[in-house]
Amino acid sequence: MAKQVFSVKGMHCSACVMTLEGLEDELAGIRSLKVSLHKQRAEIDFDEKKISEDEIRKAFERAGYGLARA
Amino acid sequence: MSFDASTNVLGLAFITGVTTGGLSCLAVQAGLLATSVARQAETDVTAQLAVRHVVAQRKKRSNRKLTKEQRRSERAALATLAQPEKPKRRNAATPIALFLAAKLIANTVLGVLLGWLGSVLQLSPYSRAALQIGIGIFMLGTAARLFNLHPIFRYFVIEPPRFITRFVRRYAKNNASTVATPLFLGTLTIFIPCGVTQAMMVLAVGTGSPLLGAAIMFAFILGTTPVFFGLAYVATRLGEILHTRFLRVAGAVVLVLGLVSIEGGLNLMGSPYSVSNLLNSAAVSIAQASGNYQDVAAAQPDANGAITIQASNGGYSPNLIKAPTGKPVSLTVVTSGTTGCTRGFVIPSIGFQRSLPETGQITITIPASAANGNLRYTCSMGMYSGYFEFT
Repeated sequence: MAKQVFSVKGMHCSACVMTLEGLEDELAGIRSLKVSLHKQRAEIDFDEKKISEDEIRKAFERAGYGLARA
Repeated sequence: MSFDASTNVLGLAFITGVTTGGLSCLAVQAGLLATSVARQAETDVTAQLAVRHVVAQRKKRSNRKLTKEQRRSERAALATLAQPEKPKRRNAATPIALFLAAKLIANTVLGVLLGWLGSVLQLSPYSRAALQIGIGIFMLGTAARLFNLHPIFRYFVIEPPRFITRFVRRYAKNNASTVATPLFLGTLTIFIPCGVTQAMMVLAVGTGSPLLGAAIMFAFILGTTPVFFGLAYVATRLGEILHTRFLRVAGAVVLVLGLVSIEGGLNLMGSPYSVSNLLNSAAVSIAQASGNYQDVAAAQPDANGAITIQASNGGYSPNLIKAPTGKPVSLTVVTSGTTGCTRGFVIPSIGFQRSLPETGQITITIPASAANGNLRYTCSMGMYSGYFEFT
């Protein structure tokens, strides 16, 4: 298990937060996904054996947002 | 708020809704709706596959040796089973329409509550002025956030609690009713307002009227409806492009609303620094400089210190009265079929606040102790004002 903080690009309002936190249910291997609009950050707790950082980044990009290590 | 002022604010709320409101909350709400609709579609497909499977099994069985009687009953069963398999044209418009209708109703009801909350908070002219100025500052912050001026302005959006967003999201995912789900989700959107909606909500509080609060929320959500409905069908990419562009328009509209709110608050406070009071002062200064001062300050109390002003839907007339310092004034305010906010008559510095009759009059005595400098009077929203100049 790894807990990593990422910076998120492209969030405008709490709707974006909700969209991104929805990925928690969609991506296998993510234990928790907390997004802060104010800090423009995402705190992701995930199982590296089931999902890689790159896969998470791609999922964020598909939703229309950028993700990079903070 | 007078009819004219209300119309202006409602118009602005509607324009904000049309230009950005829908887009601002589209990401999450369209997502919820799409999830719900997709879930329904998924259920339909699963059901169709199940039916196909049973039909295939029965067909296999029917190839075996059966009596005439058995074949006939099997064919009848297959015909019945195959009936619902016929592809039905899904009507995506229905859940979207239900969702938006529920959203409109829920937000209008919310507007009533917010307006009522504003009326409860109306303790004194000064507290009301402070509330309006606070609302104005929130709106300016929201506008600055929409213009993306500085990361600090991100704090001008209130994030709904995580458990609410999680509940809404999971409800959308797990419930597939074509009627109840969109209706319920549409109602739940009041708990996950986007920044622009929040600005409208504080504006509704600021009206101090359940009716106007409801009207503002109704106008705004109605404005979001066509955009929302339209964009529910098109690609999100297009939505993203429009989103970026319209954010600036939203910023401009919210900026105007914020300035109007602060202006109202300053008037309500009796401050000489509101734009309308500064303009009045400038008009007097210009008139004095050109020797036409009497034209501007035409109204004066009579020999008994009595003066009458008319409170109409468009403001107070006269809105500038010249009177002698240190002498009490008997001020009569007359209304004639007045329905706007000018009926809420306030003289902040003497703590006077009264709701005028629709048609009728009230007389207020301004004591000698208050008859000095400039004494301002205003409507309860701070939209219209005037003042005494004691010299």
